[in-house]
This record gives sequence, C-alpha cells and structure tokens, in this order.
Amino acid sequence: MITRLSHVTLFVLDQQKAYDFYVTKLGFTVHTDATMENGFRWLTITAPEQPELEIALLSPHETMHPDPETRAAFKVLLEKGALGAGVLHTPDCLATYEELKAKGVVFKSAPKEQFYGIEAVVTDGVGNWFSMTQPKPVDFPVTG
Amino acid sequence: MINLALMPIAPETYRKIIAAKWYMDEHFHEPIDLDRLSREACLSRYYFHRLFTRIYRRTPHQYLTQKRLRQARQWLADKEPSISDICNNVGFESIGSFSSLFKKTIGYTPQFYRNRALHQQQQARQQPRSFIPQCFANSFATPDPATPQPDPQQ
Repeated sequence: MITRLSHVTLFVLDQQKAYDFYVTKLGFTVHTDATMENGFRWLTITAPEQPELEIALLSPHETMHPDPETRAAFKVLLEKGALGAGVLHTPDCLATYEELKAKGVVFKSAPKEQFYGIEAVVTDGVGNWFSMTQPKPVDFPVTG
Repeated sequence: MINLALMPIAPETYRKIIAAKWYMDEHFHEPIDLDRLSREACLSRYYFHRLFTRIYRRTPHQYLTQKRLRQARQWLADKEPSISDICNNVGFESIGSFSSLFKKTIGYTPQFYRNRALHQQQQARQQPRSFIPQCFANSFATPDPATPQPDPQQ
C-alpha cells in the first residue's frame, strides 16, 4: 500500500539560481543541502506550509547523466520551457502576483478567473513554469 | 455595514498592504505595532488589519512573529551569533519569551535546535550519502567504495 509522496524531482538549469528563486523570492525552506565527493549536489526544499514534501532541485550535469546527448536534451527542454512543473497554491493570487512581480519574477500570464479559482502562470527562471492558483472556494482558517 | 470580505481589492490597495508586509520583512528587529503598519500602508488601523488578514490568512502580528521565528531559525543554523543576540536581533524583548515561543512553535528549544542543525550540517559534509535516498545516490553519484557492487559477470 502506498500512502504518501515524500520526494519529487524538479530539474532546473542552474541549482544556485533555483535556490535564489525558491528560497529567497518564494520563501521555501532548505531541507537538505549535501554535496557528494564527485560534486553531485543533493539540494531539497520544502514549501512554506508543506514541510513533509521534499522537492529535489537537480540540474542535469555529468554526475547525473554521463551521456552528453541526454544532458543536451534536458537542457533544450528546460530552455524551451517545455516542462511545466505543477501547481502552487496561494491564499491571494493578486497579492502574490503583485509582490513577486515587484521582486522581478516573470509571469507568463496575469491573474485570471478560472472555474477552479484565480490563476496566474509564473516562471522560475530556470526552465519551469507553474500555475499559481488561489483555489476556490477560499475557506482558509487564520493560522498562527 | 460594508462586508470587507466580499469587496474587490484595488491593485493600489494591494500594493499598500504589500508595502506594509515588506516593512515587517525589513524591520522585524524593531518594535512594530499596528499604528506603524497602518501608517506605512496609508490605511486606517481597522481597514489595514482586516485587509492584511484577508489577504495573508493571518493577522499582521502572526505574520511578524512567523517572520521573526523564521529568521531566528536561519541564524540558529550557524555557530554565531549567540542565542541571546539572536533573541534581541529578531525583536524579542526577553530570552524567556523567545525560548518558550520558539519551543511551542518549532518543537525544540533554541539551543537544542542549534545543536541539531550544526550536527546535521557536519554530517552532510562528512557523510553526504546518509542524506540522499540510495536510488538517487546510486544513479547520480560515483559508487560508494564501502558498498559492495554487484558482479557484472552475474
């Protein structure tokens, strides 16, 4: 019986730039940052209110993919932005949009009403885009 | 009476609330009260509090406390500064109230949290494999000489 997802991989063009985006701009928390003897860096982060799911930020380099063709294919897909990564939830899409835009984050589309909530599409600058959604109905408790 | 929970918020008002949030992000080490924040946002105390709580799903006070504890955790992950300096630098007035709130929220005392973080960092430097799921380590890293490798002839 499978019960939960504990780790998920997010391929990025550059781990340090990804760190800057997810940790500095979005406020994610670094869970583990360990570099192996061959230079392979295991960098995992968690979303501010979801500490149980580790997102491993991995960049395709020679320690992961010794085959240069595979690395090049990854790079092409990331540079094209062909790998839409997922959905991020926010309690207020318009506020988060204004705040991230002021921090220099690039959006593919501005907030728009959808049948499931209000959605903007945000890019991480390292090859991925996310739906940033304020789900409907808005019924969050005030938390401490 | 106007129901603020249902009123659309103008972009300019959003920017005012965000400005007050950023004020807390930058000045969390100072005493900050609702008067100061509402002045920063150019809104009345009541309107500011209602809008901030509606947008961020927490009160300004709750947000500020979270910001301070988050910053404290970052500093506690290093050897310096001292815990009493961290307490002052994140805007708490007494080490007692800081420690008890930290323990209540994070689950550990600041000293225990620091010891644990430093131990984990040391382990990550000395034994990085102990943090990486074995399948990832095997796929993406050179084999661990201590781990017996399968015989390619078999």
